[in-house]
Amino acid sequence: MKKALVIVLLIVAAVPLVAAVAGLPPHGSPSNPTYTHVSAYYLEHGAEEAGAENIVTDMILNYRGFDTNGEVTVIFTSLAAVFGVLLLTGAVARKPAAPEIPVSMVVRFIARLLAPFIAIFAVYVILNGHISPGGGFQGGTVLGALYITVSIVLGRDEARRLLPRGPKPWLQAAGPLTFVGVGLLGLVLTGYYLGFPTTPALAWLRTAMIVVIEIGIGVGGAAVLASVYETMEAD
Amino acid sequence: MSGIDAVIGAVTAVLAGVGAFFFLVGTLGILRLPDFYCRTHAATKCDTIGAGSILLALAIFNRLHPESLKIIALAALVLLSSPTAGHALARAAFRTGLVPWQRTGAKGGGS
Repeated sequence: MKKALVIVLLIVAAVPLVAAVAGLPPHGSPSNPTYTHVSAYYLEHGAEEAGAENIVTDMILNYRGFDTNGEVTVIFTSLAAVFGVLLLTGAVARKPAAPEIPVSMVVRFIARLLAPFIAIFAVYVILNGHISPGGGFQGGTVLGALYITVSIVLGRDEARRLLPRGPKPWLQAAGPLTFVGVGLLGLVLTGYYLGFPTTPALAWLRTAMIVVIEIGIGVGGAAVLASVYETMEAD
Repeated sequence: MSGIDAVIGAVTAVLAGVGAFFFLVGTLGILRLPDFYCRTHAATKCDTIGAGSILLALAIFNRLHPESLKIIALAALVLLSSPTAGHALARAAFRTGLVPWQRTGAKGGGS
């Protein structure tokens, strides 16, 4: 009975999707709407109009800023979900402690040696996102991975020092907060939420807004990754 | 000038060839060697000697160019991180009790 219901539900969900796919224009045809409408405009005007030389950054932070604003909020919400599941219900199964294997000297040395370079690379990826491939999401992931490496190799306490209790909630929410902040700045300047000033004289401000959002996404993403890891490995 | 060009081309080709050879041997090793430790050993050869010499070839091919510095930094990172990862893998396996493979029962010819 339950199985039949699931199958029926799946079919009901699949029919409109299949119909939509069947109605798509032929794959790769140059007369497709994808090639004739906005994307050509973005490619021609993006670099000078949207504030970033990297067209992808123009796309996700300016032209489709609303979408990315939502995405950043989803990342923050995922952290809330992890907290909700693991902390509030106290459902973390207390596993018998695995035999403690000391971290190898080689791994410890190499991790200590490379950590500063990884951190610099993460900052570079975040700050250079408006010029070259990269940006807040990518750099934030590198930073979060660095936190996890430090936590595994040098110990939980060493890692916790990187994410102090006081500013922690603000860092975790940095992505949505800076996005909303810049969005409201746009509201004041142009009358639209996330509106970027369009006059050529304010090109520096467009770029500054994009860089601020990138930093927010990077810091927020890293803090969320680190916190999820910390919560999951805590016993 | 053309003499230098020829030397750079030759060195690049030799290094890239060495890299490709080690990638091939390493991949064969991952597929064919008998146990975890041997396969880990083969896998790290791909990253260190294989990727290392190909990156070195690219750096030399680019001559005195900022890109060369970046490539050399990349090669240094690979040379540091790959053996460390291999070491950590093998150590974790050994410490948790995975017994290294030994040739059991002479089947003659040693296949």
